[in-house]
Amino acid sequence: MEKNHVSNLLPGYLDNTLSEEATKKVEEHVSNCIQCKLELDEMKILFKAFEEEKLTVPTKRLTANFEAALAEEKSATSKVVSIGPVNKKSSWASNVFKIAASIALLVASFQMGRILQDKSFDQDLALLKDESLQLKQTAMLSLMENQSASKRIQGVSFIEEFTNPDEAIVKALGNRLLYDENDNVRLNAFEALSRFVTSENVKQVFIEALEVEKNPSIQIGIIQALIKIQEKKAIAPMQKLLEQEDTQPFVKNEINLGLPKIM
Amino acid sequence: MKHFVLFLMASISTSVAIAQTDYSKSLSGIEWVKIESKSDITLKTSSSNELLIKGSRHSKTTEKAKGLRLVGEGGSDNTEVGFYVIQDGNSLIVKNLRKSEGATIYLPKTQNVSVKSTWSGDIEIDGFSGEIEADAQLNGSIEIINVNGPVTANALNGEITVEFGKVKQDSPISIYTTNGEVDVTLPSDTPANLTLGTTNGDIYTNFEFKREEKDGLKSISGRKVKATINNGGVNISLKSTNGNIYLRK
Repeated sequence: MEKNHVSNLLPGYLDNTLSEEATKKVEEHVSNCIQCKLELDEMKILFKAFEEEKLTVPTKRLTANFEAALAEEKSATSKVVSIGPVNKKSSWASNVFKIAASIALLVASFQMGRILQDKSFDQDLALLKDESLQLKQTAMLSLMENQSASKRIQGVSFIEEFTNPDEAIVKALGNRLLYDENDNVRLNAFEALSRFVTSENVKQVFIEALEVEKNPSIQIGIIQALIKIQEKKAIAPMQKLLEQEDTQPFVKNEINLGLPKIM
Repeated sequence: MKHFVLFLMASISTSVAIAQTDYSKSLSGIEWVKIESKSDITLKTSSSNELLIKGSRHSKTTEKAKGLRLVGEGGSDNTEVGFYVIQDGNSLIVKNLRKSEGATIYLPKTQNVSVKSTWSGDIEIDGFSGEIEADAQLNGSIEIINVNGPVTANALNGEITVEFGKVKQDSPISIYTTNGEVDVTLPSDTPANLTLGTTNGDIYTNFEFKREEKDGLKSISGRKVKATINNGGVNISLKSTNGNIYLRK
């Protein structure tokens, strides 16, 4: 019983417009269902409030003013334009013109719709491309954490898909260059990053790597990259490498050749 | 025939005798075997799923060291053959504690292996199809033959020689040296994208390269060569700073 609430019948019940059967049904239900009883009571209060609300009648002066204003307006616009058929003999030419106009309108709206749709399709495609790039980025970042060096190199080489890698990628590559235990992965990370050597983050990573890197091949690569862009901040770590005994002679040679170019 | 039987018995009895000085450990649950050594390491395949270390003939403990345990920088001998072996997660760490004596290690063919030579030991790896990582950090050289899987090899002063069997995987192959030569042999039908580069050395090959073209011009820069063979496939990069690169069919 409770499931068949009668709330939609309540207004009719209060207005006494229901059939006898329906009235009986409402009364029976309300006596059992608290929810509907409450609703009915609230509605009763509302109806009562409606009844008690006094009808406000405008004052006589206001009515008189309004009537006067209306009469004035009427007399001002006395000329009534007839909307009836004035020109009954419409020429066939104007009919053709009307049809042509409607066809033109149809074609124009169709084209408009197509253009709009194309645009949204392009947007969808761009979104999809963006999504696949996002997916690649996720794959790249997870591959770079793989236990296998070959897989990490594969992750690093995904960089070729990105023309403008975001900070997360540069950071992940930087971590590979700085902390990966495998020399091949570090060298690959260096080569991937060297495409973006003008980026401030990449420069910073290279300078940091120059201080910790022990592999001469990577040292040479970093030195060449930093000399190429004439990075002044690289001078100090390069001089430090010159002083260290375990620096390979050809690395020192490379520094000696390059340093004068940026100093 | 009699001689043959005698020989057979003799060889069986010696192999039993040697077996007593060998060390073996099951490899169940192990994904990577990581070997570190200062001296020569030879890796060979075996059919059983276990690590088997065969010490060299001279690896008997001297009179004076009897009853004592060998202690190295990585840990102490827990194998009786001069090695420290411990499991770390899904990796098995195998360290050779003797500085001057190499060993031959047997592993299943599909095992992923990582071998590091930290002094002048040479690394020799034969016949594996899993992943191979080899790193000769100082003077050692690396020789990898008859392999299929992805190879990552790096050497400082030594040379790297790799002879591939059929390459059918798609993980990159990366071989770098600083001062030594790189000498790689590939089956002639290997589909690959090649990157060869040397700063001060030269590059030699008998592969017909389809060189990367830019506006119809072929790159002839000697320092870095990018090319595809057999319509492209696995990425193979061979690099050296001061050594020559040889790529053979």
